[in-house]
Amino acid sequence: MPRAVKGVLVECDPSIKALILSLDSKSHNIVLADLDDEHLLIDVPMLEYVKRELDSQLAENTFKPAELDNIQRK
Amino acid sequence: MSVPKFRTSINDFLEGLPETVLIRLFYSPATCLAIFRLLPAMTQLFIMAMLFNDKPVAATDLNLWVQEGSSSKQYDALEKLRGMHLVKQSQGMLTLQKTFRAGLRNALSGGDHNNSFGIPCDTEDKHKVDIKFLDEHANNQWELILHFMVGTDTGKVPNNGVLSLLRHSGLMEGSTPSNMRITNAGFQFLLQDVNAQIWTLLLQYLNMSEDLHMDAVEVLHFLFMLGSLELGQDYSLAALSPTQKIMLDDLRDYGIVYQRKSSSRRFYPTRLATTLTSDTGALLTASASMDSAIAQKEREAGFVILETNFKVYAYTDSPLQIAVLNLFVHLRSRFANMVTGQISRESVRKALSNGITADQIVTYLTVHAHPQMRKSTPLLPPTVVDQIRLWQLEMERMKTVEGYLYSDFSSKNEYDTIAGYARDLGVMTWEKPNKRMFFVTKEGNQQIVDFVRRKVHSGA
Repeated sequence: MPRAVKGVLVECDPSIKALILSLDSKSHNIVLADLDDEHLLIDVPMLEYVKRELDSQLAENTFKPAELDNIQRK
Repeated sequence: MSVPKFRTSINDFLEGLPETVLIRLFYSPATCLAIFRLLPAMTQLFIMAMLFNDKPVAATDLNLWVQEGSSSKQYDALEKLRGMHLVKQSQGMLTLQKTFRAGLRNALSGGDHNNSFGIPCDTEDKHKVDIKFLDEHANNQWELILHFMVGTDTGKVPNNGVLSLLRHSGLMEGSTPSNMRITNAGFQFLLQDVNAQIWTLLLQYLNMSEDLHMDAVEVLHFLFMLGSLELGQDYSLAALSPTQKIMLDDLRDYGIVYQRKSSSRRFYPTRLATTLTSDTGALLTASASMDSAIAQKEREAGFVILETNFKVYAYTDSPLQIAVLNLFVHLRSRFANMVTGQISRESVRKALSNGITADQIVTYLTVHAHPQMRKSTPLLPPTVVDQIRLWQLEMERMKTVEGYLYSDFSSKNEYDTIAGYARDLGVMTWEKPNKRMFFVTKEGNQQIVDFVRRKVHSGA
């Protein structure tokens, strides 16, 4: 009898996959299975967390004009 | 682009009507003329060729009018004619639908005297209004609705008919006037140009009217009649049926007609009505003429300047325009005659997460571009346009699907049967045959489970 595991299939490019795996390496409760280069199976309740973390990590390296305002004022 | 889009929507609606309803529509010459104006150019050419010819026309004769290499357009035009039941085709000969032919001939040569084009009032209006008043009135009514959608605090709320229309069309959600919120579709609606917006609302009104047991044919007759009225001329209510009189009340709320009070025996169409079916070519000229028509003072049609450093300068003081710009521009300063700001990653992402697409932002900026911008080709700086699209792609880096992963199949045969079934059903999102695993959507999972159970039961 085959086994069915409930989860969320994530399709992304390898760089994002690496980011998710690195997130997982700290807590070990996100990724259920590493399927192939572009697909991961993650736990359903962790989906929102992954999206938020991904957003914040990607946003870290972008230029924000608001920051420029603050710098100029000083 | 907005103008073709509203055309196709009303066309789609007309094509969706059954033939008997369409024939009832064709009885009114104003409707025939309005439908004619909504058709694309080649279709109009074919109709004109067949209009005054009482005998059927051979389909191959139409080839004489078509240039080499445009046969796909010819095919499209014929499909359109067939779709709206305007022609009957038999043995290669085309005949124009006879009610439509009579109606259009009437409209063009002014034959029959009937009321489909509206009856102008012959008595003097004691409280006569001029075109400037009508323009202002239309502007105020329309902006009231848009302001309410954007959430600017004007203190005035549109009345219940308008609110229920907004709710039905999915542009806003909420039960009481104070807790209504705009939806994603509503944001997209705000970025369209005025003509497209009016048609979107009117089409929703059409859909709603069928639920309220108002005759769709009479509603359409009235709408198309409005499109052919003259601005500044008052018309009498005598020509209208009871259904159309109810419509008049609703249309007053949208600013499409003006009536001094609901017991008045006359009404004035505003510019919003008379440009309903106007046959405008380029999108820019359509919006330019609408904008300048609706302008309360002398105002340039376009008012937004976009620089290559993502800075935006908008020469407007209309709270509505500023509110719409605020949706995707980070506005910094406001002056007496303009606002400035910057398009930033944050502001665009906020817009994208509200459901606005990058294309709509680009279209809005193109449509409302200041005439100064017209000097550069392409109109908008490619850096900015590309970056907006890239920001949209950034939001979509991850595609997620909820469901179930199947693994641990005991034999290749078992894998093949179950995977084959899943694939045929279309619920399989991913598979890896050499590892014998596949992923199925949450909705499709129950069917797979039932299938496996049946197999185990029967095959063991």
